[in-house]
Amino acid sequence: MVIFTCADDFEAMLTCIYDAWAARLGHHNIRLALEPVEEMELFASYRSIPADPAKAEKVAASIKKKISPAAFRMVYGAALHESREKLDAIYRFLVYGFHFGAKVLDMLGEPVVSKVFSLQRKVQNETHFFREFTRFSLVPPQIYFAQIEPKCQVLPLLAPHFVDRMPSEYWIIADKRRRVAAVHPKDEEFYLTSLTDEELTQMEAAREGADPFVSLWKSFFAAIGIEQRRNARCQRNMLPLWYRKHMTEFQ
Amino acid sequence: MAASVHVCNTLEEKLTILADAAKYDVACTSSGSDRRGKKGSLGNAFSAGICHSFASDGRCISILKILLSNECIYDCKYCLNRRSNDHPRATFTPEEVCTLTVEFYKRNYIEGLFLSSGIVKNPAYTMEQMYRALYLLRTQYHFRGYIHVKTIPGADPEIIERTGYLADRMSTNVELPTREGLETLAPGKTHQKILAPLRQIQSGIGQHRLSQGKSPRLERHQINAHLPGNIFERAQALELEEKSARAMAIMPSSEASFVPAGQSTQMIVGATRENDYQLLMTSQALYQRFDLKRVFYSAYVPLNEDALLPEKDTPVPLLREHRLYQADWLLRYYGFSAEELLSPEKPNFNVLLDPKCDWALRHLEIFPVEVNKASYDLLLKVPGIGVKSAMRIVKARRSGTLDFDGLKRIGVVLKRAKYFITCKGKMMYHIPIEEDFLTRQLTGEDARTTWEMGHPQTYRQLSLFDDMQLVAPPTVEDTKKTLQGQL
Repeated sequence: MVIFTCADDFEAMLTCIYDAWAARLGHHNIRLALEPVEEMELFASYRSIPADPAKAEKVAASIKKKISPAAFRMVYGAALHESREKLDAIYRFLVYGFHFGAKVLDMLGEPVVSKVFSLQRKVQNETHFFREFTRFSLVPPQIYFAQIEPKCQVLPLLAPHFVDRMPSEYWIIADKRRRVAAVHPKDEEFYLTSLTDEELTQMEAAREGADPFVSLWKSFFAAIGIEQRRNARCQRNMLPLWYRKHMTEFQ
Repeated sequence: MAASVHVCNTLEEKLTILADAAKYDVACTSSGSDRRGKKGSLGNAFSAGICHSFASDGRCISILKILLSNECIYDCKYCLNRRSNDHPRATFTPEEVCTLTVEFYKRNYIEGLFLSSGIVKNPAYTMEQMYRALYLLRTQYHFRGYIHVKTIPGADPEIIERTGYLADRMSTNVELPTREGLETLAPGKTHQKILAPLRQIQSGIGQHRLSQGKSPRLERHQINAHLPGNIFERAQALELEEKSARAMAIMPSSEASFVPAGQSTQMIVGATRENDYQLLMTSQALYQRFDLKRVFYSAYVPLNEDALLPEKDTPVPLLREHRLYQADWLLRYYGFSAEELLSPEKPNFNVLLDPKCDWALRHLEIFPVEVNKASYDLLLKVPGIGVKSAMRIVKARRSGTLDFDGLKRIGVVLKRAKYFITCKGKMMYHIPIEEDFLTRQLTGEDARTTWEMGHPQTYRQLSLFDDMQLVAPPTVEDTKKTLQGQL
């Protein structure tokens, strides 16, 4: 058994898939895993694959061409999942994909397909939760700042939504868990950038008590519930406590 | 009145009063409009809608739901804002509405604005104020998010038409399904008065859609194409009024849209004696004849004391409201009609079973259904299989036969479905298709949820004095306090 390993980032994963495929060892004789590898196996050799943009580009192009653009979106979605097994799942899916072509997406009864399908569905669902529950607050002079702590890496899928929503505002969404931020200057495209601890605490301190609309929103939120219909369980079903961490109305 | 002397100055006070007054309006959806953002403007619209929070009653908060004013010249018995209630009153200026909407929107609290109002002075004046707020919001504040606005029955058709070009959705509350109900509880309103704006807007939507080369009817979910005999297919052609010179003159530009997310309405459940059959038939008629996008149901919360209304301690009929929503979904997505679900002989929904299970148990002759062969409409008749599952099943079976494990893998929930389906000719367990047995099984599955919904106040802390009939004699201090008037 040969195990190909790479960093948890899309380019590295595609490169890893390229090298694993090109090694011609037979699909059953290899596995793909993310670094850091937690428990090494005794009867396996490990090959660490560094990211290579050229190889990644080739894999991306052939998924789009030989399977379909929708399949590429699905693979990209699955690659943002927090799971450690996603890379191997994507590889197995691609083996099927390159054999069956575009119709592989309909073969949901196949375990390898449904695995990737459910990985990306989780990522899509979580992205949608953060479309709903991300809360900005005003940091003087005129920056809208939000903090999130998603399980999956939703920021690349989340940011385009807010670009369309607020194209002419300066805003920042910080993923506190991964120390990554999406920064959107007014009337420009957004970019992802890494974030240091100091920058994060600085932003947190700057927005403290600075936004007059926070209390307005809280009183609206309190007023809109109907006392005779109070139902905390339904509320928890729709809006799990886990998401409430950075939500203005629950602070 | 004492309360009206108190003048509300701060924005926060006004917001609290006017949100509190608006909360009994049910519609809080931001769906049906698809509009991309634009540089220099704020906002977009996402066709599936986005909920932004959930209030303490578990209902979604998608848009800023407020009244422009809670002053009202009418005296509808069921309404909190009726003229005869002594209640703090407040009125927003159109600018305040705009500021709140835009600032909340930028913080991702909301998807847009829901603006309703009590009737200040007269319907025409009220509608004009609402129009002014919307006009400012769209032109001065460059807001491209979702706007849902109530039409005020009795307002001038021209101002309603103008508002339609600014809003995404408009709605007029039918409130009560029958003429008699409305006459007793809402003396200022009549059926004709309510239906007039509904007809006008429906006609406007139809004409606008025709001018864009679309069919005059709103698009319904794609699943309806596979459901022969669904209620929309059976609806007669819409009666469109001749497009008047007035409407032509108002239309702002060729790419403008007119109420793109359609119209909706709301009915109160449990304030009068109407049964579920009457309510559901009214909904179906509204969908067919007025091409409404949604009908909402609002379980009556007793707020006012009146001889004509249920007692003030009547429990809120939450389970009944829930069943009506379930049936409403069956009409719009599952190809059912109101007559199939209820009849004059059986006018109310089963308390223990959801309407689809109930229907299935009365039609056991078509079950079990073979998952690998059944058509869309038959799959959708199976309790526990919804639109998403049916679509996934049809997709997946193109590339191989499905078994029960396969069904689970694609995300079909078998809790109820297992009693009604076969895979490759076999059922999941050896289950007799027999009404009594299945009823027992299915009611058992849902007993807890149903019970909790029907008895919301069941679980509470035991009280030693109330529950055990113990009486604590008043102490000397108590007597003193009573005499001094401090309790």
